[in-house]
Amino acid sequence: MEIGNIKLTKSTKFLILLLTSMLIAVANATIFYNLTMQPQVTVSSPALIFSSAPDEPSGSTVNDAWCRLTAKSYPNATLTYEQAVYINNTDGASAHSFRLRHVSMTPTNGTASVGNWTSIKFLVYNSTGYVFSLNYTVSGTDWILEPSNGETGYYSIPLSAGWWIRLETLSPATATTEVCEIQIDVDVQE
Amino acid sequence: MLLPELFALLSSDLFLLLSLLTCLLEERFPKPVPYVYQMAAVMGFGHLLVSRMFLTVFDEYMRFWYNLFYLAVALANVVAINLYLAISKRRWTLAKVWSSAVTFPTVFISMIFVYNYSYAQGATFPLFMLQLILALFVVILGISVSVLLSPKLSQKLRRR
Repeated sequence: MEIGNIKLTKSTKFLILLLTSMLIAVANATIFYNLTMQPQVTVSSPALIFSSAPDEPSGSTVNDAWCRLTAKSYPNATLTYEQAVYINNTDGASAHSFRLRHVSMTPTNGTASVGNWTSIKFLVYNSTGYVFSLNYTVSGTDWILEPSNGETGYYSIPLSAGWWIRLETLSPATATTEVCEIQIDVDVQE
Repeated sequence: MLLPELFALLSSDLFLLLSLLTCLLEERFPKPVPYVYQMAAVMGFGHLLVSRMFLTVFDEYMRFWYNLFYLAVALANVVAINLYLAISKRRWTLAKVWSSAVTFPTVFISMIFVYNYSYAQGATFPLFMLQLILALFVVILGISVSVLLSPKLSQKLRRR
């Protein structure tokens, strides 16, 4: 019997077409589902950026997304970097909230060299004055954070506004040469 | 977020629908028609596959237009079958049923999807005229099908 001579009834034809239709529809739906699941990550510049300020400590590095301030601390004298670094909202369309969050620091608690500092304060200012701060003070050989959980609240920086961080350091009269490294994250709500 | 490939998916399903319906009405259509529509539906699968493979190469503007073209071809086939039944086969009742059960809903649903897509894209594409044309098309189609295929008018046409 030749294949060309096979007579298919209407119901058989319909069944075959129905099955192939289901196959095609499922394949299409699978491809479409995969398309909708394609991640689309757009690279763009951050809304809030750091920029150099007039009183930036010498030897510091300031980039858009991160900065490294190499500040000094004097024995028995408060050293203030009035405008250590700017935090600018580059978004001209909307305000953004941000906070300072403690991540890590050395020397760690319980180390004798912690006693080489009295306080290190990161105070955020805007054109009208003080806004909020993240402070490190020393009690014995331990760092005391203020706020105690190491996280400030979120504060909204208006569109296209520029705020700055005022950095204050103080060491006791008995301080010796030592290096303290503090890592702070700036959390921005997009 | 709506993707322009939604039009290809919709079009492919329309072709499958046409394939099954023309199979059910096989006495009124040439025998290869259901299989041709199956092939057209497979082309929709190819559309989606190409979009997926070249997603990063083709921009959304290009993807939109080739998917919309495929949708327009599918809708043209739906309307063409309606006209074939009405004019060539002179099956007025069947043509009326087809227009109300297939042509009108598919054109209307397609218009809603195109409108929603353009709205979601924030009118990135120059679709305002397209929306107007599609809306006009739906209105004209709805009126003309019900008027032209009315029994009185069909009798007049037969007399001529």
